[in-house]
Amino acid sequence: METFLQVLVSGLMLGALFAIVSVGLTLIFGIVKVVNFAHGEFLMLGMYLVYLFTTKLGIHPLLTSVIVAPLLFVAGVATQRFIIQPLMSARDDHIQIFATVGLSTALINLALLLFGADIANTPASGLRTPITIGPVRVLLGQLVILAVSIMLVIGLQAFLKRTQTGRAIRAVAQNRAAAQLMGINVNRIYMLTFGIGAACVGLAASMVAPLYPTSPNIGTYFVLTAFVVVVLGGLGSLTGAFAGAMIIGLIDSFAGFYIGSDVREVVVFGMFLLILILKPSGLFSNRLSLSHVSP
Amino acid sequence: MRKTVTDTTLDTAMTQARSKTLPWKRIGLFAAGMLALLIIPILIGNQFVSHIFVTIFIFAGLSTAWNIVGGYAGQLSLGHAIFYGIGAYAGIILMNLGISPWLGMFVGAAVSMVVAVAISYPCFRLRGPFFSLATIAFLEVFRVLALHFRELTGGATGLMIPLKFGWEWMVFRDRTPGLLIAFGMLMVALGVAWWIRSHRLGFYLVATRERESAAQAAGVSTVKVRLIAVAASAALTAMIGTFHAMYLTFIDPSSVFSLTTSIQIAMFALIGGIGTIFGPLVGALFLVPLSELARGWLGAQALGLHGFVYGIVLVLVVLFMPNGIVGLTGRFFNGKNDEKKAQAAPIAAAARASRPPIGNDILVVDHLDKHFGGLHVTRDVSLTLKEGEILGLIGPNGAGKTTVFNMISGFLKPSSGTVKVRAADGSMMMPVTPGDFAAIGVGRTFQIVQPFAAMTVEENIMVGAFHRHSDVREAREVARETAHRMGLGHYLDAEARGLTIGGLKRLEVARVMAMKPRILLLDEVMAGINQADVRRAIDLMLSIRDTGVSIIAIEHVMQAVMSLSDRVIVLSSGQIIAEGKTQDVVRDKQVIEAYLGKDFVHAEA
Repeated sequence: METFLQVLVSGLMLGALFAIVSVGLTLIFGIVKVVNFAHGEFLMLGMYLVYLFTTKLGIHPLLTSVIVAPLLFVAGVATQRFIIQPLMSARDDHIQIFATVGLSTALINLALLLFGADIANTPASGLRTPITIGPVRVLLGQLVILAVSIMLVIGLQAFLKRTQTGRAIRAVAQNRAAAQLMGINVNRIYMLTFGIGAACVGLAASMVAPLYPTSPNIGTYFVLTAFVVVVLGGLGSLTGAFAGAMIIGLIDSFAGFYIGSDVREVVVFGMFLLILILKPSGLFSNRLSLSHVSP
Repeated sequence: MRKTVTDTTLDTAMTQARSKTLPWKRIGLFAAGMLALLIIPILIGNQFVSHIFVTIFIFAGLSTAWNIVGGYAGQLSLGHAIFYGIGAYAGIILMNLGISPWLGMFVGAAVSMVVAVAISYPCFRLRGPFFSLATIAFLEVFRVLALHFRELTGGATGLMIPLKFGWEWMVFRDRTPGLLIAFGMLMVALGVAWWIRSHRLGFYLVATRERESAAQAAGVSTVKVRLIAVAASAALTAMIGTFHAMYLTFIDPSSVFSLTTSIQIAMFALIGGIGTIFGPLVGALFLVPLSELARGWLGAQALGLHGFVYGIVLVLVVLFMPNGIVGLTGRFFNGKNDEKKAQAAPIAAAARASRPPIGNDILVVDHLDKHFGGLHVTRDVSLTLKEGEILGLIGPNGAGKTTVFNMISGFLKPSSGTVKVRAADGSMMMPVTPGDFAAIGVGRTFQIVQPFAAMTVEENIMVGAFHRHSDVREAREVARETAHRMGLGHYLDAEARGLTIGGLKRLEVARVMAMKPRILLLDEVMAGINQADVRRAIDLMLSIRDTGVSIIAIEHVMQAVMSLSDRVIVLSSGQIIAEGKTQDVVRDKQVIEAYLGKDFVHAEA
């Protein structure tokens, strides 16, 4: 029973980690409709920035988010403006996929060039302190991730629902041409959305870096899972992404413990494929119109 | 609008050149080029140069195989390393059991084909990036499974080939035999790719990529052709994988089932020219030496620099050269063609034969109902079409005319009711899928035109012509003749995406006419063509009817309705409200009311 509880809680903590990484991706994927393979590399860049700010300037990792998130916002806006936007009118999606794959390759190798292949450890600054609640043990940093991811989802949800800009973003996601006719500057909305999506990863980086060692390849570890989460939750759905992340976290944790840690990815990706093929709108959506499935 | 794929224009240019003046010169040039590729490394005799050439041949071969699926069929697979890996493992595992890789190669190919069909079939309904994501997920599953089943694959430690040398084991102390085998495999891959691209299958694949529903209407079994393409591509990839494993002498799951390899394979095709026959080869010729040299020079200076440059080059190519290297040269050679574009020729005035008498029922529709959720689109629609008859289907916007068309051509399944069609042998059949309808001789056009945008006008019509003629030359003849008849003769080599809306409407009709249908369903083909052409189009329809084709036409141009239709059916709010002779129907009160409202009827009265 105790083990079960521990596995359960670990799963939820892992889920929170996936959630905070996936929230930005679901915005970019769901609204700009671009498969950003470089998403994981944004996280990696963010983590290196956190590493630099903590080790060189001695700032607490959580505080670095104030600088890292805006920096990644700029990176996101620039990516949209200079790489994705020129390709928006391209007839084939594959062109955009290759562009982000190229960006991802370039960023991984840039990190390799600047920081070397060695692992960079961000100081834990107290975030690795274990906290025991009854029979289960979690790290303080994991609880922070859970709290921040919940706040992030609620905050973004309110932004999208209540503000004028948020409404414009949702309008563009629904119908680009109609939104343009209503006087919305679509290119600006896309840049903003991409920026926010990247900034979310920046925020995530300052929570993740103290717990996980940073390496040039860390992004690829997260990005595939993030795509699984986003598809599971339904494109562009923040709450869906959160719920999806929790489910994947639990599956990962339970499969890892009860089936074998070396095949847990098979379970996660198997689940992903089943959802993709059987219920492509995601688990939590009952919309009839699907943009990515042939009628 | 930025063009992304101009593959077909180039290939057309090549096929035409082949069929016209100088086929031998071209073949000779190609043979000389290929031979030079083989002889240069043998003459130089340097280990490093040989290695680069073997790598070029292998990746060009892999990329050419990928291109059959990723380029022709437009299914951007990023999971091709699965097949490469299966080939590699099959080769080494069987070699350890004492079986020659020459046999193992075919075992790997067979397994790959089965796997490819099994994983592609459920994934085909996924569009664009979702298909790519699914293939990546499958690749990850294979990698993890390969790590897990240690007894078979050696797990993370990998597998080493047993030290047996000689031709029967595909392993050599000398570099030259390896070069020969890699070259041979590339030639096989190029041969298969060329064969597919220049035969009906290739046209069907590109048509399916461009517009799936239009391809189905033209009688293409879209799932089948893509599965064939995937199987062929997987088999080739696996065979090259077997050889590469022998060449490398060592494999492990993370190096063969790797996303990086998958991406590289696709990237060579992209940079060379996606969807073209020689694009992948050109891409590999250009990039492999570049990357090997960069690894040598830049890699020594700083770790990661060459990968960084590689990534940046990829982004720049995508941004500024989306058609790849072959696309650039293609644009250069084809640039002049566009200038001699003439004005649209009028639709050829048709010589009228005498009209055959109206015969038996050929299409019988009984009590068709269709509802989407609570919305009833059609209620209890019954109609019959007789042989040699033209039936006009009119009604206000939103009456459900196109929905009826979709149900009598297999694109929508009726909620209830039946559609029966008399086959050529006289028996009544109940076709279900668009393919069934096409096979039994029902051809249709789409109200919202559905051209195969990246194909030329001629190729568009050929897709229709292939329905009756499997030979490319015959299909081309039929297509040309049909094009001239439809006034598209001057546009034969123009890409369909460049046509005006009037031109596209004609193309729509030309494509279905090339199918030589027995029943023709025309959905607003007169809309958007000029007044003079409406008259000619009417004559054309009549001449088509006179050849014994039965026609149902949805039309808003009343001039056409009046002069074409033997009978008219009026649909309003999903129900038939009037049926009969054209003159009677247009005076029907209910009909006037449906079109113009009650007030108008009262005002008239």
